[in-house]
Parts: sequence; structure tokens; C-alpha cells
Amino acid sequence: MTEWFDLDQDDEHAISAFMSRVANLRVPDLGSRTPDPAELWCKAKLLARWEAERRASRPLDIMQPIEIAGGLIAAGLLLYWSIPYL
Amino acid sequence: MGRLDEATFAAFHARTARALRAYVYRVVGNASDADDIVQEAFLRMLRADVPANTEEHLRRYLYRVASNLVVDRWRRRRHEMGEERILTEPASPRPRYEDDAAVAKIFAELKPRDRALLWLAYVEGESHEEIASSLGVGRRGVKVMLFRARRRLRDLLQARGLLVSS
Repeated sequence: MTEWFDLDQDDEHAISAFMSRVANLRVPDLGSRTPDPAELWCKAKLLARWEAERRASRPLDIMQPIEIAGGLIAAGLLLYWSIPYL
Repeated sequence: MGRLDEATFAAFHARTARALRAYVYRVVGNASDADDIVQEAFLRMLRADVPANTEEHLRRYLYRVASNLVVDRWRRRRHEMGEERILTEPASPRPRYEDDAAVAKIFAELKPRDRALLWLAYVEGESHEEIASSLGVGRRGVKVMLFRARRRLRDLLQARGLLVSS
């Protein structure tokens, strides 16, 4: 490391001492909201499956309004062409 | 290691969850938010299907995700509350250094990014390269950011009369 990035040795010592105090501060016990690894594993798998399903059904979701619009246009054209014969 | 299976993940979780939670808790300063972030970090790691070449690789990935979530949360909160209220808590006149609450309060006065850098450097004992990987930033940037974080902490300690410096 270059000198430029170094603090005074006393300052560095004080910061190290302070950080070791920070490291030893008490951390509250694991909360009830912390799931165990098995629960996390299942949740991740479930989310991955939903994501895969959503990806798989996306083309259908996109095509659905196009199909409806196409059907309506075709019905309109049929009606238009059949008007002279009605 | 290859791809993670459930048993490997459980072992990895047992070895890393506590340390990750301590890191996140100390950076965000709130146990409930820390629990949420730790859970989300593990979930994102699993969903990303990270190749588990080494445990260290997974650990770095996890810390990077958690650090990003911490910064996102801080930005959101800053947006909601306004920067002033978050960054300028009234400083108590002369906290006793022996007092854990005072130590926690001084540390909490730093920005989350500074807290993360200092924690990774001093508590986890990570090198510049490792910190860069954990935070997803460049190695050269880490040097500068860490220097500034140390300087800000020094200034805080000086302002509280906890550091007599030349």
C-alpha cells in the first residue's frame, strides 16, 4: 500500500482498537423470522419453479390478446363482406 | 463442490449465517432488517444457482448480495426520511469508551458503505481484493474508499475526544 493511503500510526492503532470493540459488541439473538436452511432451500426451489412457470407461460400471455384482436378483426371483416348479402 | 445440493447448502449456511448476520446487523443497525437481508441474500444466492467452485467463492457472492441489499435499503430509507435525519444524529457530548452503546452509536454515525468497508477489513480481516469482491467494486476503488472510511472514523473519534492525535 502506498504511503498516501496510510494514516498516522497512532490513529491506525486507535481505529484497530475501536474496530475490535465493534467486533465484540453483542448481536441480538437470531430472530424468529430467520428461517432454517431447509426452509430457505424449499422457498428458493419454489420461487425458481414459479419463475420457470412464468417464463414458460409468457409467450401464451403475449399471444392471448393478439388472438382475441385477430378474432375480432376477422369477425368484423366477415360481417362487412356479408352485409350486401343480408 | 460443483452445484449446491441441500446438504452442502445446510453446512454452508451453518458456517456463514451467524457471521453474515453480525456483519449486516452492525451495518444496518437493526435486527429485524438484518434478518430480512440475510434471508434475502441466501435466497438470491440459491436462485442465482451460483457454481459452487469453492466455499470462499460462494461466501463472497453472499456478502456481495447482502452488501448491495444493505445499500439499497439505506438509499430507500434516505429517500423516505431525508438524508438529514439519517446522517446527522445529535452527537452525545462525551461518550464513555467503555460503554458498548456509545461504541455502537459512534459506529452507526458512519455511512453504511464505510461501516461495511471497515467491518470487512478489520473484523473479517479481508484483503483489498477480497473486499472488492465482497462489495462488487474495483480493487483500486477499495483502497481509496477504505482510506476515507478510516479517516472519517478517526475524525469521529477525535470529535468525541476519544483520540488524541498529532
